[in-house]
Amino acid sequence: MSEIWRSAIVASFDKFLGKVITFLPNLLAMITILIIGLITAWVIKTILLRFLKAIQFDRVSERWGLTHILSKGGVTYSPASLLSRFFYWIIVLVTLILGINALEVAATHHFVTQFFNYLPHLFAGILIMVIGYLVAVFLGQAALIAAVNAQMESARLLSRCVRWFLIFLSLTMALYHLGIAERVIVTAFSITFGGIVLALAVAFGWGGRELAKDFLERLYKRKEREGEEEKDRISHL
Amino acid sequence: MEKSFQMQMEEIKEADILIGIPSYNNVRTIGHVVRAAIAGLAKYFPGARSVLVNSDGGSTDGTQEEVHRIQIEDFKTILTSHPVHPVHKIITPYHGIPGKGSAFRTIFEAAATLKAKACAVVDSDLRSITPGWMELLLRPIYEEGFEYVAPLYARHKFDGTITNSIVYPLTRALYGKRVRQPIGGDFGFSGKLAEHYLTQKVWETDVARFGIDIWMTTLAIAEGYRVCQAYLGAKIHDAKDPGSDLGPMFTQVVSSVYSLMENYQPLWKEVKESQPVSTFGFHYEVGLEPVPVNLGRMIANFRLGVRDLMEIWRKALLHETVLWLESIGRLSDEAFFFPQDLWVRLIYDFALAYQTGSVHREHLLKSMIPLYLGRVASFVKENQDSSANEVEQKIESLCKSFEEMKPYLIERWGEVLRR
Repeated sequence: MSEIWRSAIVASFDKFLGKVITFLPNLLAMITILIIGLITAWVIKTILLRFLKAIQFDRVSERWGLTHILSKGGVTYSPASLLSRFFYWIIVLVTLILGINALEVAATHHFVTQFFNYLPHLFAGILIMVIGYLVAVFLGQAALIAAVNAQMESARLLSRCVRWFLIFLSLTMALYHLGIAERVIVTAFSITFGGIVLALAVAFGWGGRELAKDFLERLYKRKEREGEEEKDRISHL
Repeated sequence: MEKSFQMQMEEIKEADILIGIPSYNNVRTIGHVVRAAIAGLAKYFPGARSVLVNSDGGSTDGTQEEVHRIQIEDFKTILTSHPVHPVHKIITPYHGIPGKGSAFRTIFEAAATLKAKACAVVDSDLRSITPGWMELLLRPIYEEGFEYVAPLYARHKFDGTITNSIVYPLTRALYGKRVRQPIGGDFGFSGKLAEHYLTQKVWETDVARFGIDIWMTTLAIAEGYRVCQAYLGAKIHDAKDPGSDLGPMFTQVVSSVYSLMENYQPLWKEVKESQPVSTFGFHYEVGLEPVPVNLGRMIANFRLGVRDLMEIWRKALLHETVLWLESIGRLSDEAFFFPQDLWVRLIYDFALAYQTGSVHREHLLKSMIPLYLGRVASFVKENQDSSANEVEQKIESLCKSFEEMKPYLIERWGEVLRR
């Protein structure tokens, strides 16, 4: 009986030892990956930060209004520092995933594969959002200046409409690219956009008939008045 | 370069004088300009081998045919004998960015190829050009040893507002030469200077458009060429709506001035005061047509700018300047006043913002238009009852302000660009 007991314990211990011996190199591999990954992340962060400072990324961001938006959102880092930190954490995250994968635990294997398949989509989504935002700010500002120079009283409203429409459009595109509720996103965009157009049509066609009439009358009269007004004949050059 | 253009020049081989006329749909006026140029060459330079180059931007109204058709049948009308050498006419389309600068580039190429001694360029929409302009623009170069002749016109007191409020005072303060019409449009220059212009790599910038005039003048002054000016009398253009062109005209001219500041900063930082330049021609008074100005619209545009563009201006201006502008924005039409000192400071601050790139350059320049209109409105309001001479004194006073505040520009230039 004691023999059976002893051999059971020994077999169990051998099995455990075997597993530890198999696992130990994986653990060491994980630790090595983590150390190398953290060093790489730090080196890349430092190089990237220096590069961004050399190309005056902060100044460009200020010009595009990115710094303003960040400070509004309570972010105290400069855009160059923020971007370099972003890449630092991305590398740390990838390193962690690689480390976990090195353990060769069956439960994490599927997760790691999915993560790496999804990573390009994540980058593309972020890129779409950043570019979309920059284009929105640029075109919003261009619309504002053009409208002011054309003496439009509602210049600011027009500029905001242009900016928010483009931000909304880029957000929709990014979410669609990330595969988050694709159908819902497209439908929501169509409904919202169609809704705005319909609301304007209804407002002018029915609900705000008198208002629309009044608005158009005033607009027409202003144009007429401008035509009657004395035109500048200054030669600027 | 067009093959037919090259072939024509190979046929002509060499020329003493070259007249360039850039054009685009100017059939109504170009005939008169060509006739005046040919008559001027016959009368004042009968012994010179002359070429007239029409550099056209693809006119569809028969401008090129008109240039081809025009000739002087009866030289008695200009009281001269028949010229020894006939004037060759070259009519060619130009290439590159559509604009006056690209047209000039073709003219410079012709001048360099034909080894012309003296050249002149005149606008194709002029109604007031006379044969005498040829003598005034060419003789200082042909016989007096000058290399650049800027025009001097009799203009209405409210005409040439970009020139009077920005380009003349700023160029004078920066480079130290009192060239009164640096962007006049009609110039004389030597063949050597034309060759120098050709070597510059600016033909993809605003210089290829409205920026060409200030670029030519600044380069001539800054690179040490002998510069003078010639009094041409009245400058009357073909009628068009000047307001329609303000946006591109303003941004292209101001961007050229600011870009040149960047190129020549070691030079202008050393210039302490301005000097007059030699002036040719007989000065006489001219009766000028009144210029209607819609003050209310200009002031309204300025106020709209103060309300909506302040966010952009803040990136270029100091806090106290912003407060100053806001207080002007609150003034009634009757009390509206845009001080000269504030204007000078704005021009200098925007020049700095242009260099630092704190705002997209095109946006920055376009956002200046309401400020410019505010300043013009104030200037017109102040000088409604002033004579032309009194207005000229006001412009002189503005120039002095630009010169006096130059140390402010130099100090901030160093400060901002060091950051």
